[in-house]
Amino acid sequence: MNILETKGLYHDYNGLEVLFDINLEIKKGERHAIIGPNGAGKTTLFNVITGTYRPSRGQIFFKGNEVTGFKPHQLARIGMGRSFQITSTFSKLTAFQNIRMGILSKRGIRFNLFRKVDKMKAITEETNELLKRINLNMERDVPADLLSYGKNRSLEVSMAMATNPDLVMLDEPAAGMSRDETHDAVALIRGLTEGKTMVIIEHDMDVVFSLADRITVLHLGTILASGPPAEIRENQAVKDAYLGEMEGSDAS
Amino acid sequence: MNWIAKSVLWAVLLLIVVFYPHLFGLYFTNIFVVFAIFALFAVSFNMLLGYTGLLSFGHTMFFGVGAYATAIALERIEGLPLLPAVLIGLLAAIALAIILCPLLVRVSGVAFSMLTLAFGQLMHVLAMKLRWLTGGEDGIGGFPIPSLNIPGIVSIDISDPIQFYYFAMVVLAGCIWVIWFLTKTPFGSIQVGIRDNAVRVDYLGFKVPQSKAVIIILSSGFAGVAGSIYALFQNLISADDAFHVFHSFVPVIMTVIGGMGSFFGPIIGSGILSIIDEVTSRYTERVDLVTGLILILVIMFAPGGVAGLFGDIRKRWFRKETDKAAMEENS
Repeated sequence: MNILETKGLYHDYNGLEVLFDINLEIKKGERHAIIGPNGAGKTTLFNVITGTYRPSRGQIFFKGNEVTGFKPHQLARIGMGRSFQITSTFSKLTAFQNIRMGILSKRGIRFNLFRKVDKMKAITEETNELLKRINLNMERDVPADLLSYGKNRSLEVSMAMATNPDLVMLDEPAAGMSRDETHDAVALIRGLTEGKTMVIIEHDMDVVFSLADRITVLHLGTILASGPPAEIRENQAVKDAYLGEMEGSDAS
Repeated sequence: MNWIAKSVLWAVLLLIVVFYPHLFGLYFTNIFVVFAIFALFAVSFNMLLGYTGLLSFGHTMFFGVGAYATAIALERIEGLPLLPAVLIGLLAAIALAIILCPLLVRVSGVAFSMLTLAFGQLMHVLAMKLRWLTGGEDGIGGFPIPSLNIPGIVSIDISDPIQFYYFAMVVLAGCIWVIWFLTKTPFGSIQVGIRDNAVRVDYLGFKVPQSKAVIIILSSGFAGVAGSIYALFQNLISADDAFHVFHSFVPVIMTVIGGMGSFFGPIIGSGILSIIDEVTSRYTERVDLVTGLILILVIMFAPGGVAGLFGDIRKRWFRKETDKAAMEENS
């Protein structure tokens, strides 16, 4: 069963077309990577799917229901989570408070004006548990903007996971990380997304090949190829468009 | 600070507030009432600025509507008891907020400031022009002030300034406590989240515009209560007093001087402005000159306001202590 499906998706920014006829099928439980050179339209595709923009044409289906034009909070409530390429944590709030926002959302606590949030034991416990899992319990009371870059990135991904989404869309979770940090991030993502459907945008090929069991290559706003990693690795069109270019730039 | 120190501090504050009129006399009692009214006004304003990141340049419209509603109700309705009169002030401010909300929640940043400024000015013009209702430039004065009568509990005549002081303190402090409590609820967390990163709040599944609407309505209601108490205190409310644009900047200045990052900042700010006003007006009429100078100094040298300054000092002390402890451990 497809948890996410797009049919003939188009998007343009005031006439500048960036997505053409995207037909994406994500199966339940799949770990799907979207790769492509800079400017291929990966983040735009994420933004259209998660409700930042409305597609100019085409349809989006989530869990079998049409969700085209849904707002981000509507999608979040029916189980679509998302993290951002540019770290988008609550900078003045502590790591604990950041995660707690996700836990509150997961439990549907939104307009509660009659109880102190600090006194909600179940919420505090669950937040602490997740902090421990992502190895941030030592930095529990540190504001997000004072955390190291790597830790802040973990917080970014974990906040999306805290809402317990069925489908999580991760936009370059390892962006800007060192080798070691990337290694930790991959382990973290693998642990947190266990048993969930994940769509990930990533530049780092090691990350892609170690996390994904299906890859879609986006190039100039269209899908160039889609298939298991081994197949993509051998695909000549992909090599020409992307992998070759990457190897070239790596060598330089 | 542990809870014993905290409760001692609160007990001392409570005692000061209770015995204040007897210690300092009538003149300073009245100054204290004005301070407390503006403290509530500024705290309600800070719900928007400090907690949600919305800078309103027209917050006095809610204060003014609360004041006018109470004054008009007492003038027109014979035998209206005190608490319903205050309630009418509260509801009138909330009603205005509900009318404006559909527009206000859709904008943020400069657009929000300008929109509130525009509506504030509109209210000023309305108060001047609707003479049959508001008395125009002269405002409404000399309306009857009922005594507080809750059968079996209290019965005080608030035309006595000391009695009024106690009545005002209970209402104002009660409101401030409610606002403080609200900041501690899950909804308070969402509020701070909107200030920090509204986009992420949306992506976590919270409705941003609706949450903003609730905050604006609550904040307006409390400003309305402050206005209502102000009208009762002065027994006079005029268009300039209620709606003048300068009046909208009073809570802004109080909050910036006191510290918008802190719940108690606006209260400190209100206290500082009261003291400045009291001291400088003995020597010169140019009180604003002193206030302005202090505002400039605070913005340049203490962007966190007075509360932020205290916080820095406390952190420095705290760090010294932990450093010492760490050093002892190492040795």
